[in-house]
Amino acid sequence: MLLQLNNIFKWVNSGGQRIFLLKDINLEVQEGEFISVMGPSGSGKSTLLNVIGMLDGFEEGEYHFLDESVHNLREKHRANLYKEYIGFVFQQYHLLDDLTVQENLEMPLLYKKLKGAERKAKVADMLDRFNIVGKKDLFPAQLSGGQQQLVGIARALISNPKLILADEPTGNLNSKQGEEIMDLFKQLNEEGVTIIQVTHSEKNAAYGSRIINLLDGRMI
Amino acid sequence: MLKNYLKTAWRNLIKNKAYTIINIGGLALGMAVTLIIGLWMEDELTYNSYFSNREEIAQIYQSENFNGTIGTGPAIPRPLEKALREEYGDNFKHIVMSSWSTSQYLEYMETSISRDGNFMQSEAPDMLDLNILKGEKDGLRDINSIMLNQSTAHALFGNEDPIGKIITVNSESPMTVTAVYEDIPVNNSFKHLSYIVPWDKYVASMEWVKNSEDNWGNNSFQMFVQIAENTTMSSISAAIKDVKKESGEDIAEFDPQLFLFPMEEWYLRGNFENGKQVGGRIKYVWLFGIIGVFVLLLACINFMNLSTARSEKRAKEVGVRKSIGSQRGQLISQFLSESFLVVMLAFLIAVFIVLISLDGFNDLSRKGIEFPWSSFNFWGISLIFVLLTALLAGSYPALYLSSFKPVRVLKGTFKAGKYASMPRKILVVLQFTVSVAFIIGTVIVMQQINFAKNRPVGYDKEGLIQIPTFSEDFTGKYDLMRSEFLASGAAIEMSSSSSPTTRVWSNRNGFDWEGKPEGFQEDLAWTDVSPEYAKSLNLKIIKGRDFSREFASDSAAILINETAMKYMGLTNPIGILLKDNAPTDPDPPVKIIGVVEDMVAQSPYEPVKQAVYAFNREEYTNFYNLRLNPKQSTSQNLAIVERVFNQHFPGLPFQFQFIDEEYGKKFAAEERVGRLSGIFTALAILISCLGLFGLTSFVAEQRTKEIGVRKVLGATVFNVWNMLSKDFLKLVIISCFIAVPIAYYVMNGWLQEYPYRVILKWWIFALAMIGAMMVTVVTVSFQAIRAAKSNPIKSLRTE
Repeated sequence: MLLQLNNIFKWVNSGGQRIFLLKDINLEVQEGEFISVMGPSGSGKSTLLNVIGMLDGFEEGEYHFLDESVHNLREKHRANLYKEYIGFVFQQYHLLDDLTVQENLEMPLLYKKLKGAERKAKVADMLDRFNIVGKKDLFPAQLSGGQQQLVGIARALISNPKLILADEPTGNLNSKQGEEIMDLFKQLNEEGVTIIQVTHSEKNAAYGSRIINLLDGRMI
Repeated sequence: MLKNYLKTAWRNLIKNKAYTIINIGGLALGMAVTLIIGLWMEDELTYNSYFSNREEIAQIYQSENFNGTIGTGPAIPRPLEKALREEYGDNFKHIVMSSWSTSQYLEYMETSISRDGNFMQSEAPDMLDLNILKGEKDGLRDINSIMLNQSTAHALFGNEDPIGKIITVNSESPMTVTAVYEDIPVNNSFKHLSYIVPWDKYVASMEWVKNSEDNWGNNSFQMFVQIAENTTMSSISAAIKDVKKESGEDIAEFDPQLFLFPMEEWYLRGNFENGKQVGGRIKYVWLFGIIGVFVLLLACINFMNLSTARSEKRAKEVGVRKSIGSQRGQLISQFLSESFLVVMLAFLIAVFIVLISLDGFNDLSRKGIEFPWSSFNFWGISLIFVLLTALLAGSYPALYLSSFKPVRVLKGTFKAGKYASMPRKILVVLQFTVSVAFIIGTVIVMQQINFAKNRPVGYDKEGLIQIPTFSEDFTGKYDLMRSEFLASGAAIEMSSSSSPTTRVWSNRNGFDWEGKPEGFQEDLAWTDVSPEYAKSLNLKIIKGRDFSREFASDSAAILINETAMKYMGLTNPIGILLKDNAPTDPDPPVKIIGVVEDMVAQSPYEPVKQAVYAFNREEYTNFYNLRLNPKQSTSQNLAIVERVFNQHFPGLPFQFQFIDEEYGKKFAAEERVGRLSGIFTALAILISCLGLFGLTSFVAEQRTKEIGVRKVLGATVFNVWNMLSKDFLKLVIISCFIAVPIAYYVMNGWLQEYPYRVILKWWIFALAMIGAMMVTVVTVSFQAIRAAKSNPIKSLRTE
């Protein structure tokens, strides 16, 4: 088992009222799964993803990740945990504008304090695997959306995460580019990477092995 | 990692050129100011550091009580030397009597030059540890020897070996050059010491010096000492305190207190008030130090403000970096290395600015500061300074930016809260508080200078020159020269005097007169003058009459000034006799024949001192004062004067000073402070405006959408401009209200030092406030109007 959420509640107080973002979420994810989270706008998909990714906290409940009790961990340990095991892919790609493709890929490795030679090898590997060697010295602004998302996925993968969290990865792409990205996810999943994606599209959700539906913060 | 940080930072700088120029340029300016001030402070604080024995050298000072006012100064009487040597000799390694620095003519073959130097006892070179380049250190043994500094030796002898050469001093006795010493550097109390002549020569050649051997009342000399090992200045001061007081009853009346004034305090702490040491130039060292820190602070504030203002733009970057594994510490070091890069670049530019402006600064501040290329300390301190600035300027943005939560900023919903701009506003207020205070301070300094400059001096200083007549050659020539100069048509009147018009060189006391209050101890400024003195200066007689050559009795007559009349308690002074009450060999009594209007001879900031102008009974004189012919041009007059002078004194160089220029020198220190603070104020305002400019452009950018919406709804350019300017104007107004009381307090304190001072008027403050507001409006308007004029469709589409 990769992770387990037990009775997770998340809320904000607004004008004396408690507004629930997540209500009593129970979820178990095994290694090698490909899960799609679906639901209308505001149903809590992204919030759930951020909680799983440890970028966001929660008010009540338990979260176990690889036998670590995340709810008991300090901020710093939590950061170390996701740094080690989780890769993020965003709808807006979120590449660093001032860095080239190559440098963007290298960044997570720098934060993990890997040696220069090791970093170079991994970056070269990844460029090769995604077929973007020719683009390595370009800046994000010089790439198309699909290419940028490709770099985004490559960056998420470079530190060998166990889990990839993708928040509407194809939301800003045209259908052909979207299809390519989804194919890539499928291929990664087959290679053993666990993936949780948030999506609006039935078609994309179908790539997954399991679908979770959310409505007003509840799983249905 | 660091490389990566710096690379990112560099690309960031290149990308935002306007921001970079404002940021680095402003910081560089601030640093240049701080560097220059730092170099200046170092120069001031190391004054006299040339002397290796400086910690042990002191000058003997004395305080005397004149009717409750204690005056302190270095002038001491001759018999003190004997008393100290005989009874307190163990305390001193060296005791050196010295004359005041005087200008003398030195002649060798055809070359004749005028230089300043002293008569000093033979231990002087040893005490000062002069660096002897040629000859012997013990070169003042023989009464006819002279030691020269290097530049004087070069001026006289060129490349010849000066040792053993014979020169004449003041066309009198021949003196043998026994040694050449290294020039004493500019930042030194002895910088004018171009030659040293034996003290014994002084005693032998001047009758009055010889006669003062046992006279405790003649304070006309200086004494320098080096204290013995295992003693302290304060213990010796305590021991010798009353040596002079015990010399006699007439002396004890003035309660003279002797003490050692250490060399290390001469320059920076040389002011005394009522017998107490009250600082001195050190005040300006601190003042400029504070200004330097403030200017740097202003520049750092710009950096902080612009960085945090850009935070919304960089928030996304922080979020991404955090989500791909950056820890807060890593982000902090990234932002700090960015700020280090900026500060380093600014420092390099600042060094360049210092290099190109150092000459101008030296002219302005009368310094000889050189850029300390090879000083390990300078570079070490600079590095620390750069690191500290980077930390100071970069810490706030680093902590602020790195605290963003990735979820918030990545969702695109990040909006800085209502109070996020609060620290920024406080910093802007701080900046303008400093700027406004600087403006007020500078205006007041300038006003005070002008006020003193416009003070009526009591005589006509235009068209008046003085010719120094220290050489014995002038003795007995006054009448002849006067008729020659008048006949030449270059001068319409001429007089002689023992002090220059713009100074008082001697003060006297110990007189009795009819109606003198019991126990009154007078202190009179005393100048011996020729009978035409008042006429040549256009000094008005307000009571009695001027001197006249027709009355033989006038040779025992004096004029007093108006202040002296009140000071001495005389309502009808004409005919009053002043009797010298010295127990031995008193001067004959003198009679007051007239009262002249007060003339400002000393500080233009102080009341005129009670003064006596005595008919010059002897043949010696120190200055000729010539009233030039107003019907001819000054250059014509001067050419004629020079020709006449050279006919009569062919061996002496023609020297003269314009009295109005000499008088103007009294303002030099204040004018320097005024000009420097003017420049620093201008820079402070410039830096603050740069920051404001940058800040407005970011605010305009941030509010692009709002401006677009407002314009669509019908807002005019003026509405938008008003909206954007108002926020900043509010801050500046707050600054004004903080700055005014502070500036008032500080400047009022500064003015207290000047008895003759300008009155602080409210409109100075109002003017400074209006000025600051105008500058703000202009600066802000550049951006505000641009933003207001932009096409709303364009700005709305970018969202």
